[in-house]
Amino acid sequence: MSALRVTAAALAAALRRPPITGVIAVLILLAVVLAAALSPLGGYPIGADVDPASASQGPSAAHWLGTDHLGRDVAWRLALGSRAFVGPGAVACLIAAALGIPLGAVAGFAGGGVAGTVRFLIGSVASVPRLVLILLICTVYGAGPLQLAVGAGIAGAPALAEAVGTRIEALRSADFVLASRAHGVTLPNLLLGHLVGAATGPTIARLLLATFGGFVILESTLSYIGGLGVPEPNPSWGNMLVFDWGRGVSLSVIAPALAIWLTVGATTEAGKLFTERHRG
Amino acid sequence: MNFALARAVLVRCLAMLSTLAGATALSLLLLVLAPGDPIDLIPGGEALRPQLEAQWGLDRAPAQRYWHYARRVAVLDLGSSVSYRPGQPVFGLLAGPATRTAARVLAALACAVVWGTALAWWTAGRRSFLRTAALAVSIAPVFLLAHGFVMAANEGAFAAMQSGWLERPSWFALPDEPSPLRTTLSIVLLAVGSSALHETHAQAEEALLRIRSSVYVDAARARGAPVWPHIARNLIAPLAATTAERAAFLTGGVVIVEKVLLLNGAGAMLWEAARLRDYDLALGIALLAALLVGTVRLAADATRALADPRLRGRA
Repeated sequence: MSALRVTAAALAAALRRPPITGVIAVLILLAVVLAAALSPLGGYPIGADVDPASASQGPSAAHWLGTDHLGRDVAWRLALGSRAFVGPGAVACLIAAALGIPLGAVAGFAGGGVAGTVRFLIGSVASVPRLVLILLICTVYGAGPLQLAVGAGIAGAPALAEAVGTRIEALRSADFVLASRAHGVTLPNLLLGHLVGAATGPTIARLLLATFGGFVILESTLSYIGGLGVPEPNPSWGNMLVFDWGRGVSLSVIAPALAIWLTVGATTEAGKLFTERHRG
Repeated sequence: MNFALARAVLVRCLAMLSTLAGATALSLLLLVLAPGDPIDLIPGGEALRPQLEAQWGLDRAPAQRYWHYARRVAVLDLGSSVSYRPGQPVFGLLAGPATRTAARVLAALACAVVWGTALAWWTAGRRSFLRTAALAVSIAPVFLLAHGFVMAANEGAFAAMQSGWLERPSWFALPDEPSPLRTTLSIVLLAVGSSALHETHAQAEEALLRIRSSVYVDAARARGAPVWPHIARNLIAPLAATTAERAAFLTGGVVIVEKVLLLNGAGAMLWEAARLRDYDLALGIALLAALLVGTVRLAADATRALADPRLRGRA
């Protein structure tokens, strides 16, 4: 519990007096997560929602963001489309954290041959570009939300491991670490609470947000290009954007484009809450 | 080139080769860990079973399989395509497209660093709307920027043609035609989108602020000497570090740019390999991508060592 308490205190300190853009970014991310969690409860009939009579309509009380050229409600599909990346994106973050944090902690704290081996492993994964690695995983295991999440998680782990390892290595002989050991703080508590949680918690939070933002880009790109992402009629912001391609500029194109831009921008801005600059 | 620099480059070369060997091992591990028989995963794989068993060494232990693959890679044999161009050697398929793709990545990398630095030179230490504008454009994913640009160009040209202002423009190339506009656009989008410009700008700005407030710049200013040669020389090392850091990112991004803008290249080929589950082709492209990233990092490290003598001993 001590490790969790120390981590929570470090994150709270990083978030003190946040800039207004950061607050807006967090609100956007919360809205996206809520949309993904609550939209299935609305009972929108995916696949049975084609209505030629109301095709390509503008905003109205019945269709807040209008309809696409098949008469499908853009607002509902936008809300349901967020499910394509919120769940798998969270899984990708969990996998990146589960792999990256322990590897980084070992590399930073152990030193010697163990650190060398771990750093070689991290460097080997990091030498293959993220998207290339994810497509390689899709080649072997097929394309699907789980494969993408695992791929993005593995590809995101080296950045986390490197950041955690560098920070812990710098703090390994710091006075507060020696004092904690002298006061009888156990090694797991010292490593997880004081070194990983307090000293690198904000960095980890920022990198996990970047992993999530990267997943939003990845998922929407794969669905936009087609063949490896979410197939029609299931909604995804990427396939919504391309679905009304060539039919002029309408809300059915602008809404998913704006949603992708705002969500990716929100992860970048929310990540800045955890940088040194805002912590004074 | 002095001894320390040569030693630093040699150590980095060896490190790059060992990293490539590690990346190959991890990639092959993916195939070993695949449930069941990897041949079952390939559409129509059963018909090719004897050939694939020999090609992938499926009857051998994983370590022997790795050694078998490494020996083949050493003589530039990356295997044969299974489903993209069945039977054709991967190296032959990749030679031309990989060169074009590498040129796109390097051009985009140069643009990102030069534009980011130029922008940073203007914005460093002052409040500028350019910083916000660059951030707003740059955070958009590459495919979204491409979509917006192509849509605006299409709609504008279509409206102009309908109203009789314009004949069919020469840059309206069909997907299989070479198009200088699409190639230029791919480089610009890669250099700007998915935060590429934002990241290089932020790093260049941070370095510029640090250098401008340093003692040697103050001393040059006090002597009445021009300060920009000091700033430019000291900027080389951080910019080389930024280049090394962004290399992997842009090498991944080129896959998307080539697919969205219908360009022929190794990136678009990787996408098809993933879709058709052509493992040897995908692995060959992954290896070449790692080689490109490693080479850029090596060149960046050598540049840093040349620019900053303090870094030569830290290979």
